[in-house]
Amino acid sequence: MDEKTLRSIIEGVIKEFTEGSGKAATAVATAPSVVGTAGELKISEAGAAERGTNPREVVIALAPGFGGRMVNTIVGIPHADAIKELCAGIEEQGLTYRFIRVFRTADVGFIAHEAAKLSGSGIGIGIQSRGTTVIHQKDLPPLSNLELFSQAPLVDLDTFRAIGQNAAKYAKGESPAPVPVRNDQMARPKYQAIAALWHIKETQLCDPNKKTQTLRVEYR
Amino acid sequence: MESEELIRQIMAEVMANLGSDQVSFAKKPAAAGAVDASSYPLGERMPEKIKAATGKVLADFSLDKVKSGELTADDFRIAPETLEMQAQVAESVGRDTLARNMRRAAELIKVPDAELLQVYNALRPYRSTKGELYGIAEGLETKYGCKINAAFIREAADVYEKRGRLKVD
Amino acid sequence: MKSKRFEALDARPVNQDGYVTEWPEVGLIAMSGPNDPKPSIRIEGGKVVEMDGKQRADFDMIDTFVADYGIKLDNAEAVCRMDSLDLARRLCDINVPRSEVVQLTTAMTPAKICEVVGKMTVLEMMMAVNKMRARKSPANQAHVTNVKDHPVQIAADAAEAALRGFAELETTVGVARIAPYNAIALMVGAQVGRPGILTQCAVEEATELNLGMRGFTAYAETVSVYGTEPVFMDGDDTPWSKAFLASCYASRGLKMRFTSGTGSEVQMGYAEGKSMLYLEARCLYITKAAGSQGIQNGSVSCVGVPAAVPGGIRAILAENLIAMALDLECASSNDQTFTHSDLRRVARSLMQFVPGTDFICSGYSATPNYDNMFAGSNWDADDYDDWLIIQRDLKVDGGLVPVLEDDVVRVRNKAAKVIQALFRELGLTDVSDAEVEAATYARGSQDMPNRNMVEDLKAAEDLLKRGLTGVDIVKALAKTGFEDVAGSVFGMLKQRVAGDYLHTSAILTKDFEVVSAVNQPNDYRGPQTGYQISDEKWAQLKNIRQAMSPENV
Repeated sequence: MDEKTLRSIIEGVIKEFTEGSGKAATAVATAPSVVGTAGELKISEAGAAERGTNPREVVIALAPGFGGRMVNTIVGIPHADAIKELCAGIEEQGLTYRFIRVFRTADVGFIAHEAAKLSGSGIGIGIQSRGTTVIHQKDLPPLSNLELFSQAPLVDLDTFRAIGQNAAKYAKGESPAPVPVRNDQMARPKYQAIAALWHIKETQLCDPNKKTQTLRVEYR
Repeated sequence: MESEELIRQIMAEVMANLGSDQVSFAKKPAAAGAVDASSYPLGERMPEKIKAATGKVLADFSLDKVKSGELTADDFRIAPETLEMQAQVAESVGRDTLARNMRRAAELIKVPDAELLQVYNALRPYRSTKGELYGIAEGLETKYGCKINAAFIREAADVYEKRGRLKVD
Repeated sequence: MKSKRFEALDARPVNQDGYVTEWPEVGLIAMSGPNDPKPSIRIEGGKVVEMDGKQRADFDMIDTFVADYGIKLDNAEAVCRMDSLDLARRLCDINVPRSEVVQLTTAMTPAKICEVVGKMTVLEMMMAVNKMRARKSPANQAHVTNVKDHPVQIAADAAEAALRGFAELETTVGVARIAPYNAIALMVGAQVGRPGILTQCAVEEATELNLGMRGFTAYAETVSVYGTEPVFMDGDDTPWSKAFLASCYASRGLKMRFTSGTGSEVQMGYAEGKSMLYLEARCLYITKAAGSQGIQNGSVSCVGVPAAVPGGIRAILAENLIAMALDLECASSNDQTFTHSDLRRVARSLMQFVPGTDFICSGYSATPNYDNMFAGSNWDADDYDDWLIIQRDLKVDGGLVPVLEDDVVRVRNKAAKVIQALFRELGLTDVSDAEVEAATYARGSQDMPNRNMVEDLKAAEDLLKRGLTGVDIVKALAKTGFEDVAGSVFGMLKQRVAGDYLHTSAILTKDFEVVSAVNQPNDYRGPQTGYQISDEKWAQLKNIRQAMSPENV
């Protein structure tokens, strides 16, 4: 994280705040184009999300800002590349995926739980803009989980792919070995205050009255 | 800035109000059959008077009885009477809210583990309608005599309604 | 030209930390924020109708809960009118006893108590902490975790930590479903090290309660509360559900404390423009109102946020002080990494180390930080000798005692063997002799063989389904010949029948005697009063293995 990026985030939040859009922000999923090495990501809303019936699907829920107002994780991984890896991991296991966006909360536990509840297999993945990710199962308490990747700075592309694979394995009824947990005790000193700014921005994009939406996700 | 005199006056007012309850460690006189901090720790000072929820006396607990199967998991549960005594100890040292918690807890001893977890989960935000919470309160009151908890859950339901924290869809 | 001095400064660890400037509108300000409410309280017919500038009609959930349950109303209006500076003086004045101060502080509103501590320097706050800590003697708590969720290592580290003097041990998980394994390994390992150690397993609230009910833990701590309503909702609770949860624990005879800390509301995105300390004060009043005996606070896992703004470490001390002033047990954090700088981390901890708190760290990492699954503590196993020598330098009892290598190896080996035998007896997964050997001499999980995690997870799930309890563990231990450990686990289970350790600041001695703020209240009144290090204890603290005596020369 360099000072310039940080400054631009702060300026962004301040601008929204002073314009008074913080409170009344209507989150929009239609994003300005988001370019990653995987290509240009285009996300658009396609109506209220429905509960799926396909037992071979994993639902991926994006936080309000993911791939929209925000385009990179906290360590600069383009959102386009992050979800490409998740999808590839699911596909490798022979399953399908579906995207939704949650607006009522920016909490990753709840977002992932929403995905699990709407998933035909009962397995969902939730992902925040900063990169924090959860694999969830519908009958667990919202703030519990199957696997949690709480340290956003440590979630890299390989981890995203492994998360996709494991989610698919749970969906198939398997008991995969959890993705090896990583721990960096110096992530907090370096990133926590910045992660807070990130999250403030994401919560400002929440809309408590807007229902979870189905998303169309395209690469160009 | 307030004048020194005013400060003194208010201080006098406060201290007068504190009056009888000046020092929180001072023992309030215990009512007949009641206990206070002087009996604490109850398990060390009066184990012959402490009973588990199953009625077995703490003084008779031993490892051998666990090994022989005479004591089972159910015997390691606190009794409502014991929690009431602990609430009195807490009050005698000025900890009224802790005592109130212990009295709510005393009522909940009878509620089975799984049901207790269900009630807790129902009280979490967006989990229940107002009617459902009132129903839970009613159930706890009639089935287990949980008067204080029932009132507490109804109060929660009313606040959740006012603040929009009931189940939505 | 680049200054060589600045080049050297830029390379220092302290400059790897993140800092931000104050930004009150989103709550990025430590204390005394420009948008914090002014203290006020108005009571009509025994009910609070106005608090901190808000009318009852405008109360949110937290205001309602605090106003109805959290403040002693008899003197609340009068105390609110008292000069905050005068009250601040009383807090740190050795001539005003703790019991008198508590009468005043428990009658204050959240905004009032913030205004009062806002008048104090850190030195004055430390004086106040020395007096206001609920239990007379200080103590310490450790984290016992590892990245592999290796149960044998957990047991060995727990035994060593217990031997080193910690009164409480806390574990958590890398993978949530392994929780029963970690909880059992911690409890049993701790009792091997020293009978009477309290243990807990920090997981999702309902799961944590379930572990306690089964007798795998003796207390709970991660019962989190928050200072704004939206964050409370994201934490998946309300003040009422949390108060009910507190009663659930007490109904099973289990000790419990809440957790909160400055910065959590900013971290979770809804600070409502208030300072971190003001929001934390609201948490502490919720804690008091719910009837919890105590709190773990001091920013805790959000420490990176206050530590990044001016006066943040002062605010952390202030929040500990408010907890104690509300007559709550205070487990005072110092348990999370917040800096790359060794100087900064010591300076931060001296605030609680010098005056002493109920638990100075909550906790100190009993493993190297790479194994700390709370994302790293401010102190870890590699710092054991630093901590001991700072105690010796300052003649401060920070809760640890010097130990000998032989003793550490002995208890680690025994704990590992006990887990091996216990798992076999209970039909859980196998523990090999190689694992026992590795755990005996390990520094951390890098020295431990990998386990079959899938099998462990299955066994952990299965033992819950089988309805295994603490009593089954006692019986199994006795059967395997570890009668003494069986006796200690039995001693822990007995506590929940008596309920004595539900009281404020309770810990247990090696003989299972309860020491709490009821039978050992802090009676500090200046020099040579309150907690004093006994001659015997000082002899123990002085006696470090590194010191050379004339006989050796």
